[in-house]
Amino acid sequence: MHAIRTLFAGVLLSGASLTLSAAGLEVGDPYVRAVPPGQSNSAAFMSLRNISTEDQALIGAESPAAETVELHTHVEENGLMRMRRIGRIVLPAGETTTLAPGGLHVMLIGLKSELTPGQNVELTLIQDDGERMVIQAPVRRLEPMHHAAH
Amino acid sequence: MKRSSIAILLAAAVSAGILSCLEPGPASESSQAPLELATPPTGGDFTLDSAAGPVRLSDLRGQAVLIYFGYTACPDICPTNLVSIAKALRSLHPAELDRTRVLFVSVDPERDDPEHLARYVAYFHPNVLGLTGTPEQLAQVAKRYGAAYQRVEDTGSAMGYLIDHSAFTAVVDPNGRLVQTLGHASPPETIRAAIRTALGTEP
Ligand SMILES: [Cu+2]
Repeated sequence: MHAIRTLFAGVLLSGASLTLSAAGLEVGDPYVRAVPPGQSNSAAFMSLRNISTEDQALIGAESPAAETVELHTHVEENGLMRMRRIGRIVLPAGETTTLAPGGLHVMLIGLKSELTPGQNVELTLIQDDGERMVIQAPVRRLEPMHHAAH
Repeated sequence: MKRSSIAILLAAAVSAGILSCLEPGPASESSQAPLELATPPTGGDFTLDSAAGPVRLSDLRGQAVLIYFGYTACPDICPTNLVSIAKALRSLHPAELDRTRVLFVSVDPERDDPEHLARYVAYFHPNVLGLTGTPEQLAQVAKRYGAAYQRVEDTGSAMGYLIDHSAFTAVVDPNGRLVQTLGHASPPETIRAAIRTALGTEP
C-alpha cells in the first residue's frame, strides 16, 4: 500500500499527465473530447513516446465508458476524409507517436453516459507484448485547432 | 450502385482542384474513377428538412450562409469544423450575427433525423441549423455545392458503416450566390473574414 502511494506520488511529480508503462511507453496529455448531448461516439487523443530500444505497438484499448473501443485513423484522400479502423498503431523505438484530431485516435463507440468536461475517463491501452496500461483521460471541451499552414 | 458512382464522380470533381483548399492526399488508383465530366459547383437553391420544418435557401436571402456537409456520428472532423465555425460566429458583431446562418447538412439521414440534428447543432451555436433530406435530395444538393461523400459498409468497425466525406464549408452571399469554399479545419479568423466579405462588412 505504502509502495503504491509512493509510486503514485512519483508519477504525479513527473508531469501533469504522464504515465509510464513497465515496457517503456510514456503516455502524455491524454484527453477525451466532450461531445454534444445524444452523441454516441467520441475519441481519445494523446502522445505515445516509446522510450525503450525496441519497437512496440498498440493493438487495442478498452474503456468502461463505451460499448466498444477501437483504434482508428483518418486519411485525407482526394478531398475526402476517410476514417478507418486499424489493427495496430506502431510505436517505433525512441519516437513519439501523436494521436491527434484529424488523424490517429482511440475511438469510443456507444458512450454509456454523457461526457462532462473535467470528468476522467479510464482507458486501458493494450500493447502487443500483452502489457495493459490503465490511464485516466480527462474530458475536454472541443477547441478550435490552432493550426499551421494548410 | 448508382449512389456510389455519383459519390466517386463527386470525389473526382473535388480532386480536380476545384476546391483548392483541399489538398489531395496520396492517390489511390483502385478506389477512384478516372476524371471525367467533373463540373464545378454552381450553388443554387434547395429545400431540406429541419426539426422546425422545411428550410429553403431562398428564405435566407439577405444573410450570409455557411453550408457544411457531414454527419453527427463523426467523432472528430465534423465537430472540429463546427467548433471553429461557432467561434467565428461568437466573434461577429451582433448586427453581423443577425445576418449569418450556418446549415449543417447531414449526409447520414439513416442515423440523423431532424430532431437528433437539432439537438446536435444547438450544442455549437443557435445560428446553426441541422438539415437533412432523402438520399436523392442530398445527392443533388451536395453535387451543386461540390461536396462529396460515400457510405462505406465493410469497415470491420462497430460503427456499422462509416461515411467518407469532404470537409469544406461553402459560403453563400446574401444574394444566394456560392462565393467561396473554406477548407477543413479553417481557423475561426478565416471563417469570420469570409462571412464579412460575403456580407460586405468590415474585413
Ligand atoms: Cu474514429
